[in-house]
Amino acid sequence: MALTRRTMLTGAAVAALASHLPVRVAFGQDRTVRFAFMQDFTRIYTFVTSEYSQGQRDYITLVNGRGGVGGYTIVADISDHANDQPRAIEAYERAKAQGAVLIDPLSTPVARALVPRALEDQINMITAFSGRSDAADGTAFPYVLPLTPNYWTQAGLLIDYFKQQDGGSLQDKTICFVHIDTPFGKEPLPILEKLAAKEGFKFLAFPYTPPGNDQSAIWPQVRRARPDWTVFWGAAVGQTVALTEAVRNGLDMSRVSSSVWLSESDMEVVGKDQTVGVMKVEPCVSGHEPKIIQDILTEVVAAGKGAGPQDKVGTSYYNYGVMLAALMVEGVRRAAEIAPDGPVTGPWLNAGLRSITAFDAEGMIPPTTITPEDHQGGGYGRIARWDGEKFVPQTDWFSANQDIVWQEIRKYSEEFKKNGK
Amino acid sequence: MDVILLLELAVNGIFVGLMYALVAAGMVLIYKTSGIANLAQGALAMTGAYVVVMLASAGLGLPIWAAVPLAMVVMFAVGAGIERLALRRMIGQPVIMVIMLTLGLEIFLRGLLPGVFGASVKRLDIGIPNAPLFLGELLVSRAILIGGGVSLALILLSILLFNSRFGIIMRAVSDNQTASWSVGIRVERAIAVAWGLSAAMATTSGVLWGATQGVDWSLSLLLIKALAIAILGGLDSIVGVLIAGVVVGLAESMATGILDPIVGGGTRDVVASVIIVVTLLVRPHGLFGREHIERV
Repeated sequence: MALTRRTMLTGAAVAALASHLPVRVAFGQDRTVRFAFMQDFTRIYTFVTSEYSQGQRDYITLVNGRGGVGGYTIVADISDHANDQPRAIEAYERAKAQGAVLIDPLSTPVARALVPRALEDQINMITAFSGRSDAADGTAFPYVLPLTPNYWTQAGLLIDYFKQQDGGSLQDKTICFVHIDTPFGKEPLPILEKLAAKEGFKFLAFPYTPPGNDQSAIWPQVRRARPDWTVFWGAAVGQTVALTEAVRNGLDMSRVSSSVWLSESDMEVVGKDQTVGVMKVEPCVSGHEPKIIQDILTEVVAAGKGAGPQDKVGTSYYNYGVMLAALMVEGVRRAAEIAPDGPVTGPWLNAGLRSITAFDAEGMIPPTTITPEDHQGGGYGRIARWDGEKFVPQTDWFSANQDIVWQEIRKYSEEFKKNGK
Repeated sequence: MDVILLLELAVNGIFVGLMYALVAAGMVLIYKTSGIANLAQGALAMTGAYVVVMLASAGLGLPIWAAVPLAMVVMFAVGAGIERLALRRMIGQPVIMVIMLTLGLEIFLRGLLPGVFGASVKRLDIGIPNAPLFLGELLVSRAILIGGGVSLALILLSILLFNSRFGIIMRAVSDNQTASWSVGIRVERAIAVAWGLSAAMATTSGVLWGATQGVDWSLSLLLIKALAIAILGGLDSIVGVLIAGVVVGLAESMATGILDPIVGGGTRDVVASVIIVVTLLVRPHGLFGREHIERV
């Protein structure tokens, strides 16, 4: 048969129609919920993304393998935005076109850039351990959900722990804060300055130039300030260099701490034995102990369905991924309880996510309640110490200094409500 | 201001500067032979460090004393290979295109190696203890002290090399390639050897810095410091690089200690940029570089 212009155009039109029909049917009948895990696998957040994403995918495989949640299965789309805003916007638009009702960019600059779109399109954007700290205020950011303690809360937890350790007072103590000189590194400064004024300690900040691969001139200044406590705040190579310099400058490791961004692999780079005593904020249980991780090992990894190397299962960042996936899936479960037949839209999932109540992921995370007002989940975490092999919890889940943290959250969220910035 | 702190910053700055100077010395080696500023020197240092990691604990399990020399041999071949497969094809092209090629190589390696070996920071233990070393009240980092010492030794060796027969050949090639050919010098081989030696030196830099900070893509950022040092010292002067390394290291360290508390941080990298701009404006051939005068 000769291919004429008319037959070709007719064929193309039929093919185009046919390619759209099954998709519409699928959206209508398959009862799937689409998550877009567009993250930075290749540039700045590489230190965390592969393990975090592995944890997320393994958990979703576990849930889908058990038949889904609330009658829905989860589809996880993985893509790389390379911490590049144009690429991230492109990935976001693609996810939106494909029907994603949740995105998780795991990047502060990307999350900040996507806030207006997510709010306008009513797509739930998860900004765990990243993005704007004031997004904890759900009244200003209804579709931006940190679901975890923000950086202000993490700083508040650390100061409270230091106070507990020093017999209930930090009066006349010196606390040094070594941080990467970026918006992320500067984020805790207002809270720490307020707490210094409230608790009466001397607060000294030492910024270092990103990415932080040479901090040799910073740490002698820290040592000579004779700090009672030192907090270092960075990511990737900045964290390992900071810790190495802290060891080289003879700082007492039991009085050195960081945020959630410290992992087993960082300790391995610096030296497992040399860093004994270093602390971090733990948002969830690490290791293989949690029941969910045990289930993943038996039902996902042992079945050959794991998303990555088995030796990464149970690392801090892997468990962060599982934690966030568990919270997202709990949101779906709640949404299906509220409106069992959907339709699956951003607002449908938003109602579920914002009604999560005392969810603890079978003991893996602190009891977390998300409300339309509080997207942080109460601001709970715990302090863990490196023992040479693993991080060992030093406290139970606790929340601290939330009055000051929320003053700051409201200050910035009110500004956002007024001028959108 | 705390005098001991200033002394500490000065001593650490000098040794850190020597470590940077080693990266710059590799650039000078290539410039002296082929007249090209190699903008892939930072990426070569990173590549060398990744090769050591691959040969040592994380890969084949070789002891570090065997992995480092073996990596230098491998990197010599890589450097010579780059010259043979890429640079030689550019003969006759404008110099700017060759420099752009080295920049492309830098970007390519920075993307390729983390992709192949994984993007997380890798441990590189060369046996230098992290325990603090006190000289009276003065604390000196052992890693920086040893790194600076090794760098100084290698730079002095380079000076000896340039005064050897091979060094004279390299200088002749740099001055006039056609004249060198006409007197029987194998120009291509001299340039290939220079690239090989430069890559081997970059490996040593990568190892010393990798032992200080761990191995990841950020090792390639050594290029900026090396460039500042090579421009300040003179792109064709090893002695210049040695002195400029000390100056840049000292200036950065003191700026961090003195200016950062006043302006709120971030002066360390500004120092390198200011040095590049000011040197190019005031003395384009650097402190010790040869001034090229063309008769017209």
